[in-house]
Amino acid sequence: MLKVEHLTKVYPGGTVALKDLSFEVEDGEFLVVIGLSGSGKSTLLRCINRLIDPTEGKITMDGADITAAKGAELRHIRRQIGMIFQHFNLVKRSSVMTNVLNGRLGYLNPWLSTMGIFPAEEKKRAQQALARLGIEDKVHSRADELSGGQQQRVGIARTLMQEPKLILADEPVASLDPVLAHSILQYLEQLNKDDKVTVICSLHYLDLIQRYATRVIGLKDGVKVFEGLPSEINRVKFKEIYGEEAQDIRATALE
Amino acid sequence: MKRISKILQLIGKILLPIGLIAFLIFSIRVTQPDLGKLISSAPKAGDILSQLLNPQLTTRKAEKTSLSLTIPVPCGSVPNPEPATSGPRLSVDPVCGNPGDTLTLYGYDLPKNANVSLRWILPTGGLLSIRNAKTDANGGLNEKIEIRPITAAADGKAAQISIEISLPSGKLVASQTLKDVVDTMFVTIFMALIATTLGTIIAIPLSFMAASNLMRKGKVGTIVYYIVRSLLSLIRSYEALVLATIFAMIVGFGSPFAGVIALTITTAASLGKMFSESVESIDEGPIEAVTATGANRLQVIMYAVVPQITPDFLSFTIYHWDINVRISTVIGFVGGGGIGYFLSLRINTLQYNAAGTALLAIILVVWALDFLSSEVRKQMI
Amino acid sequence: MAKKHKIFVQPLSNNHMTKTKTAPKWLAILLSAFLPGLGQAFQRRIRTGLYIFLAFATSLAVVFWDRGYTGAESSSWMIIPALIWLWNIFNVAFFPKASSALIPVFLWLILAYGVGAKVTEFNLPALFQNVGRSQTMIREILHPDFVQPLTEKRTGFSEIESPCSSALKAPNHSTGDVTVTILQPCANNGDIITIEGSGFWPNESVTVAWHIPIGPQAMSTTVMSDAQGNVKLDWQVLPIVYSNAPDPSIPQIHRVVLTQEHPSGGIELSSVGGYVLQGISETLGLAFLSTIVGALFAIPFGFLAARNLMTGSPIGTLFYFIIRTILNITRSIEALIMAIIFVIIVGLGPFPGMIALTIHTTAALGKLYSEVIEGIDAGPIEAIRATGANWLQVVRFAVIPQIVPSFTALTIYRWDINVRSSTIIGFVGGGGIGFFLWQWIILQDFRAVGSSFFAIAVVVIIMDFLSAQIRERLV
Repeated sequence: MLKVEHLTKVYPGGTVALKDLSFEVEDGEFLVVIGLSGSGKSTLLRCINRLIDPTEGKITMDGADITAAKGAELRHIRRQIGMIFQHFNLVKRSSVMTNVLNGRLGYLNPWLSTMGIFPAEEKKRAQQALARLGIEDKVHSRADELSGGQQQRVGIARTLMQEPKLILADEPVASLDPVLAHSILQYLEQLNKDDKVTVICSLHYLDLIQRYATRVIGLKDGVKVFEGLPSEINRVKFKEIYGEEAQDIRATALE
Repeated sequence: MKRISKILQLIGKILLPIGLIAFLIFSIRVTQPDLGKLISSAPKAGDILSQLLNPQLTTRKAEKTSLSLTIPVPCGSVPNPEPATSGPRLSVDPVCGNPGDTLTLYGYDLPKNANVSLRWILPTGGLLSIRNAKTDANGGLNEKIEIRPITAAADGKAAQISIEISLPSGKLVASQTLKDVVDTMFVTIFMALIATTLGTIIAIPLSFMAASNLMRKGKVGTIVYYIVRSLLSLIRSYEALVLATIFAMIVGFGSPFAGVIALTITTAASLGKMFSESVESIDEGPIEAVTATGANRLQVIMYAVVPQITPDFLSFTIYHWDINVRISTVIGFVGGGGIGYFLSLRINTLQYNAAGTALLAIILVVWALDFLSSEVRKQMI
Repeated sequence: MAKKHKIFVQPLSNNHMTKTKTAPKWLAILLSAFLPGLGQAFQRRIRTGLYIFLAFATSLAVVFWDRGYTGAESSSWMIIPALIWLWNIFNVAFFPKASSALIPVFLWLILAYGVGAKVTEFNLPALFQNVGRSQTMIREILHPDFVQPLTEKRTGFSEIESPCSSALKAPNHSTGDVTVTILQPCANNGDIITIEGSGFWPNESVTVAWHIPIGPQAMSTTVMSDAQGNVKLDWQVLPIVYSNAPDPSIPQIHRVVLTQEHPSGGIELSSVGGYVLQGISETLGLAFLSTIVGALFAIPFGFLAARNLMTGSPIGTLFYFIIRTILNITRSIEALIMAIIFVIIVGLGPFPGMIALTIHTTAALGKLYSEVIEGIDAGPIEAIRATGANWLQVVRFAVIPQIVPSFTALTIYRWDINVRSSTIIGFVGGGGIGFFLWQWIILQDFRAVGSSFFAIAVVVIIMDFLSAQIRERLV
C-alpha cells in the first residue's frame, strides 16, 4: 500500500537524515523501524505524512503521490494517515473531548470547526473512541490532568477519529513504563488485526519488537541496514544497527 | 587564559565599587539634594499634608436667610426706615449718611456663630458685596461700613444693606468636590478600559509578527520580525505620558482622547512584547499532531495554538488594565483629562482639601483594582 | 506538568442537588424579577446568580452615572440593564441548570465601551484632521537638533553718518578682523552707498547688516566674496533705518557690519543639544540616587512587612499590618503626583523629583523585599543554628546569602523603572529631561522635542539591556 523510493532528506544545516531509502509496506503489516536516536526514524515517519518535506525521492500510497501533493490534496492524504507521538502532543489546556475531536478536523467544515462547533454525531464518535480505549470517564478532564498512559490513549483516540488506513507511531512508548508500553502496543495491535489498519512504528526494545512486529527495518545514519522478520534479528544484527558501544547495554535486552 | 580571566575579574571587582561611587557623586552633584531646605520647609509640608489628609467628602446643606435695612444716602433722600423691635433685626448708627461716611451696622438676635455675608442692594437692584463676617456668641453683629457714592438714592429708591446668614441645617450631602472626583474617576477608569482593549487588539497580530518561532523561517518573515521587534522596544522606551503630550497637541489639550491614544500605543507595545514571549514558549508538539490529522492552517491555529496562549494573554491583559488605571490617574497632568487633570488643577490652585479627595479616590480605586486583578489572575493560571 | 487550571475546567455543575428536590419554577422567576440573580441563587446556582446581580447592578450604576455626567433627562443605554433583567428571567425559566453568563457579560461590555467611548471623547477622525500640522510636527521631530557644524567667524564694521550733517564729517574707520570701508562719509534717505571689504574667505557669502545707533539691525543683505576675498556692493539706504529714531532729521552715527561664517570642519553641541545632555544627566542622576536611597530605606521596611518574621506576637502582627498598609497606600500614588506636591514644598529642580521617586521606590521595593524574605528557606537557618552559631551568625550565614541576589536583582529592576519615570518627572517641575521636554512642547519647538525623544530612547534602551544582562547573571 505504501511505496518509498530513493527517499533522501538533507536538512538546511547540511545534516543528511535519510540517504536513498527505499522499501514497500503491504496492507495489514505491523512494520517496526529500529535504529539509534538520530538515525532518521522520526524523519522517515514525518516524511510519510509530509510534516517534513523530503529533499529527493518519491512516496506513494495506494498509487497516490504523497511527495507531489499540495494544499487540500495533501490534507486529504494526511487525514488517512494517523500519527501517534512519543510526547503525546496533546493540547494540554484543552479538554480530552476537544483533543479527540481535533482528529476529525480534516473531515469537517473548516469554518464551523474554527468557530468551535462540532456536529453531535462527531461527539458521539469521540465518546465511542474513548470508550474503546477505556477512558470514557475522562471526557471532560483537561488533558494535563491525565497520567502519561492515559494521555497516550487520548492520542490513539484522536487517531481513531481519522478512520486511518495507516498509523505512524513515533516511539509511542518511549515515555512510558514497560507495563503501560505493552498496553499501548496492544491497542495498536488490536487496530492492526481487527480494523486492518497498517502500522509503521519506531521502537527501541527488542522484546517489544519480537512480540509485536510483523516485519522490521533497521536504520543507521539514514541508511537502511536491515530489512527482514523480527526473528532474524540476532545479536550481530543488533550490534550492526546500534553500534559497538551499544552491545553491552543492549545485550541484556537480547537474551 | 584562566589567569587573564581571573585578573579581569579582579579588575571588575575593584572597578565596580569605584564606578558606583563615582556615579553616586555625579548623581548627588546634578540632583543637588538639599536636606536643609527639606527641613526648613517642614511647616509648609505639614500644612499641605494636613489639608490633604482632610478631604472634602461631604458638605452640610446650608440654609440661607437674609435681612435688609434701607439706608437713605444722602440723608433725607427717602424717609428713614421704621426700626424693628423684636426678632432677628438690624439697626444702623447713624440711620443715614453721605458718601464717604462710615456707618456701624448692628444685628440682634441673629443665629449664634453663624457666617454672614454683608452686601449692598443698590437702588438699581444690583448687588455690591462688602465682606463676610461672623455673628458673636449672643447672635449679635457689629460691623463698620463705609458709604460709597454708588449707593446714593436714585428715582426715589434708596440702597439697602442686606445680610445673608448661612446656617448649616445638619443635612449631610456629597460635596461638589466629591461629585467631580467621582465623575473624573469614572472617566479615568473608562480611559484605561478602552485603551487596554484597543491595545490588546493591536498587540495580538504584532505579537505573532514578533515571535521568533513563527517568523524566523523565511527571509521576509525574519525582516518583519526584526522590524516589529525594534519598533516595539522603541515605543516601550517612552512613558505613556510623553506620548500623551504629542497627541494632546494633535487632538487638543484637556481631551481624555489624547490620553487614550497614548495609552493604547504603549499598551500595544508592551503587551505585544509579553504576548510574543508567550507565543515563543508554546509547545510545538500539538501543532505537529493537529497538522498530521489533515487540518488546515486556520484549524491548526485555532486548535493547537490558541488554547495554549489564551490563559497567558488574558492574564497579561488584566494585569495591564491595572497598570493603565494607575497611569491614567496621572495622564491628565499633561492635558489628557480624567482625574489627573482635576488633581493638577486643584494642586496648582492650592486647593489641597479637594486634591486630598482626589488622592483618596485614586488610592481606593488603584487598591481595589490591584486586588481584583490579582485575584482574577490567580484563578487563571 | 499537571497544574490545575481552573478556568478551563468544565464546571462540574453544582446542580446535582436540583435533581433530588426541584425548586418551584414560578417562585424562582418571581425572585429573579424582583432582584436579578436571586432566582438563580434559589436554583442553587449561587455563582451564576452573583454574576448576574453584579452585571445588573454595575450596568445600572454606569447608566445613572452617565445620565448625571451628561445631564441628559433619559438615557437610551437604559436598554442594557433592561435586557440583562429580561435575560435573567428567561434564564431562570428555561435554563435552570445552565452556568454560562456570557450574554450578560457581553451586554455589559457593550455598555462599558459605548459609555466609555463617549466620555473619553473618543474620536479617531480628530487624529487625522490636522494632517498638515502633524506632518510638520513629525518631520521636525525626525530631524533632531543636537549638534551644529563648528564655525569660525570674521567680522568688521565701519561707521556712517545718516542723514548727512552740515558739519565736517568724521573720517570713517574700520574695526574688526577684516577691513570695511564705506566710500561715502555720510548718506541721506534713499542714497546709494558703496561698501568695500577685504580679508574675507574667498568665494563665500558675507552678511551685510545695517545697525542703527541703539543697536538692532534695521536692514540686511548678503553678498559673495570674490576669489581674493574682497567684497564690493552698492546699497540703498531705506527709510526703515530711521524708524526708531526720535527725530529722523537729526544726524546720527550708524554702523554697517560685515560678517562671514565659515565651517571650520568639526561639530559642536547646539544649545538644544546642551540642554538635552544636561537633562539626561539629571535624569540618570536622580534615578540612581533615588534608587540607592530608596533601597536603603526599603530594607528595614522589607523586614517589618515580612509575614514570617512579624506575625509571631500580637504587637508584631499589628506592626506588620500598619507597615503593609502604608506601603500599599504609598505605592498606589504615582511618583508624579508626589512630585507635584514636593515641587510646591521645596521648589523646582531635580530635588523634589528625587524625593518623590525615593518615596515611591521605598514603598515598591519594601513590598518586593518583604516577599523575598517571606520566601527564604528555613532549612539553612536550622542547619547554621544547629552548629551552635549565634543570632548574628545565623543572619550573616543563613539569611543574607539567601536574600542578597534577589535584593540586588530587584533593585536593578527598580533602577530601570526609575530611569523611565525620571524622564517624565520633570513635566511637573521635578527636574531631568522631562522638564526641558515640557518647555519645548509648550513652545512647539519640535526639533528640540525630537532630540529629547532620541536621547530618551537611547538611554532607556541601553538601561533596559544593561539591567536585563546584570539580572540574568545574578539569578
